[in-house]
Amino acid sequence: MAMAEAMEDPRTLLIGQGVTDFKGIWGTTTGLAQKFPKRVIETPLSEDGVAGICIGASLNGMYPINTHIRADFGLLIFNQLINLAAKYRYMFGGLFEIPMLFRMVIGRSWGQGAQHSQSFQSLLGHIPGLVVLMPSNPQSIIQSYRHARKNHKGPVVMFEHRLMYELEFEDKPNQDLLNLFGSRIDREGDHLTIVATSVMVLEAARAADYLSQYGINAEIIDLHSISHPDHDLIFNSVKKTGRLLVADTSWLPYGVAAEMSRVIAERDPSILKRPIKSLGMQSAPCPTAKTLEDLYYPDVCDIVSASASLVKGRENHNIPLPPKQAMTDFYKHFKGPF
Amino acid sequence: MSDINSEYEKLFYEALRIRLVEEKIIELYPDDKIQSPVHLSIGQEAVAVGLCSQLKLDDWLFINYRGHAFYLAKGGPLPELFAELYGKRTGLSKGKAGSMHLAAPKHGVMGASAVVGSTISHAVGAALASKIRGEDRIFITVFGDGATEQGTYHESLNFASLHNLPVLFLCENNGLAVHSPLGERQAFSLAAHAKAYGIESVLVEDGYDFVKLSAICEEILGQIKVKQRPILLEVKTCRYKEHVGPGEDFEAGYRELSEVKAWKAKDPLELDKRLIAKFTPAISREIDAAVEFAESSPFPTIDDLLTDVL
Repeated sequence: MAMAEAMEDPRTLLIGQGVTDFKGIWGTTTGLAQKFPKRVIETPLSEDGVAGICIGASLNGMYPINTHIRADFGLLIFNQLINLAAKYRYMFGGLFEIPMLFRMVIGRSWGQGAQHSQSFQSLLGHIPGLVVLMPSNPQSIIQSYRHARKNHKGPVVMFEHRLMYELEFEDKPNQDLLNLFGSRIDREGDHLTIVATSVMVLEAARAADYLSQYGINAEIIDLHSISHPDHDLIFNSVKKTGRLLVADTSWLPYGVAAEMSRVIAERDPSILKRPIKSLGMQSAPCPTAKTLEDLYYPDVCDIVSASASLVKGRENHNIPLPPKQAMTDFYKHFKGPF
Repeated sequence: MSDINSEYEKLFYEALRIRLVEEKIIELYPDDKIQSPVHLSIGQEAVAVGLCSQLKLDDWLFINYRGHAFYLAKGGPLPELFAELYGKRTGLSKGKAGSMHLAAPKHGVMGASAVVGSTISHAVGAALASKIRGEDRIFITVFGDGATEQGTYHESLNFASLHNLPVLFLCENNGLAVHSPLGERQAFSLAAHAKAYGIESVLVEDGYDFVKLSAICEEILGQIKVKQRPILLEVKTCRYKEHVGPGEDFEAGYRELSEVKAWKAKDPLELDKRLIAKFTPAISREIDAAVEFAESSPFPTIDDLLTDVL
C-alpha cells in the first residue's frame, strides 16, 4: 500500500531483487510492476552496483527505493551507502542532493540462521549523513515512507522487521505523527522507562500489560529514529521514572543501549535510581535450531524480569514470569520458509 | 585566449592548460598550502581533452580522484579549483572536497570518488533515469584500468547492456593501479570481457593524440546516441608522475623510466615547443589569477563545519 502510494509519484523508482516477482517483498510490491513497468525494476544480483545506480538515478531526478529482502544482503551496498550516499551532500559542499530510500528487512526466527537475521542499526546509526529508522509497527512504516519521500533530500535507511508484515492495522493518512527525526512515547508510566526499537516496542507493550497486574507501570519510548532520537524525551522520561531498560533487536556492545546510556551519562547520571539494564541478542551469530534461537533473542519474559528487577531493586523480584513463547508463535501468522 | 588557428591548436591549448595547472600545483606543493593528496593527470591530458571536446555542457561526466584533467576539460572553473585545493571557503565545495572529490554540476562534472570504481554505476543510474523519462541524453563514466577489476564495473556493464542504456565507459589505461602493473592484476582482456556482455569496444593505443581521440569520441558518442547502447572506449595512456603526490618515483623500481621517456617522445605537449611558447603566457596569467583568488579567499570556519550533513 505504501509502495503503491509512492509509485503514484512519477519520480519514484522501485528497484531491488524480488520487486517484480510473485512474492513481491511480502506483498508490499505486488502488482506494481504491471502498473508501472518502467519504474519497477527487477535487478541482477548486484547489490553494490544497484545501490550506485540508485545514487545516479537520484542525482538525475528520481526517488529510488532500493529493497533488500534481508538486511544481511544490504551489507553488500555498504561502500555505496557509507562512502558515497552518506557523504554525497557534505563532501561536495552541498552541490548535490540525493533523496532516496533503502528498505532493509530484518528476518527473525523459524530458522533464519546467522545470515538472514541480522539487525544493523547501530552500524549505520554511527554514520553521519544517514537517516536510520526502525519503525515499530506497519502504520509507522507507511508514515515514515511518506515522510521520507516528501520531506527529506538525502538517503534514508529503513530497517523493517519481517514480523510486522503480518500485523493488521489501519492507516490514518492525516496523522503524520512520526517523521524521520525523534522518538515517541508509546505508553506513559511512572516506575521505569523502557526504550525499545522496532518489534521490541511490541514486546515491551506486552510486558507492560503484564507488569501492570503487579502494580508496575512502565513508560515505553519507541526510539523510532536510530540516527536522530529525541534526547530530551528520553532524558526527561528517565528523570521522571529514575530507571531505564533498553530493549533492542541487535547485539549490545557499541549498540543502541550503549548510545542511550551515553545520553543519560553525559547529561546527568544522578537521575538514575538504579543502574541501566539492557536487552538484546546474545553475543553470538544467530543459531538456526529453534531451541537455541528461543534462547538467543530477548522476549517479553526477559523484559518483564528486567523491569521487575529494576523496580524492586533486586534481581530476586518475586514476580512470576509469563509463559515462555516464541515471538513468531505469538505473532502467529508467520511460517516459513521465506 | 590567445590566437587559435586550428582544431589542433584548440585542443593543444586545452591540454597545455591542464598540464600547466598541474605544474603550478607541483610548484606550490612544498609550501604546504595544499594540504591534501593530489593525484596528477600529467601525461594523460589528451584523453580528457579529446573526450570533452565532443561533450555539451549538459552531458554528465562521472569522474574519479585523478580528476583535474577532466574537470578542467569539461569547463570546471579554475579559480574555484585552486580555492578548493587551498581548503578555502570559496572553493567548489567550500573546502570540504579537496582534489579527490572535484565536482561542478553546472558544467556536467559529477562527483568524484576516492574509492576506485565507485562512480561507474552512478553514470548507469543517471542514464536509467533519463531513459525512464524518454530523454535523449548521454552519460559518461571515466575510470582507470584498476577500476575494471572491481565487481561494480562488471555489474555496471551488465546492467547498462541489459537495459540498453546510453553510457560511454571510458577506461584510461595507464597500466598501473597505484604501484601494481597490469600483469599482476588482470587475467582478462577488457574488450573480450565487454563483448561477453554484448558491449562493443574501441581501443586507442596512442592516447597522447588528442586530435585522434576527439574524432573517435565524436564517432562513438554518435553511435551511442543512435543505437541507445553502451560502448567501452579503452585508451592507452601514461601517468608521468607518482600515484599520489607531486613527484616521480622511478627509483622505487616498480616501473621503468624508459617507458615514460618513450611516451614523452610522442607527446605533443613535450614536442611542440612553438605552441608551448605561444600559449604559455596567456595560460600562466589565468593560473596566477586563480592562485591569487585562492590565496586571498577566507578559510571556512566553525560555522561551516556542520552544514550540509543531511
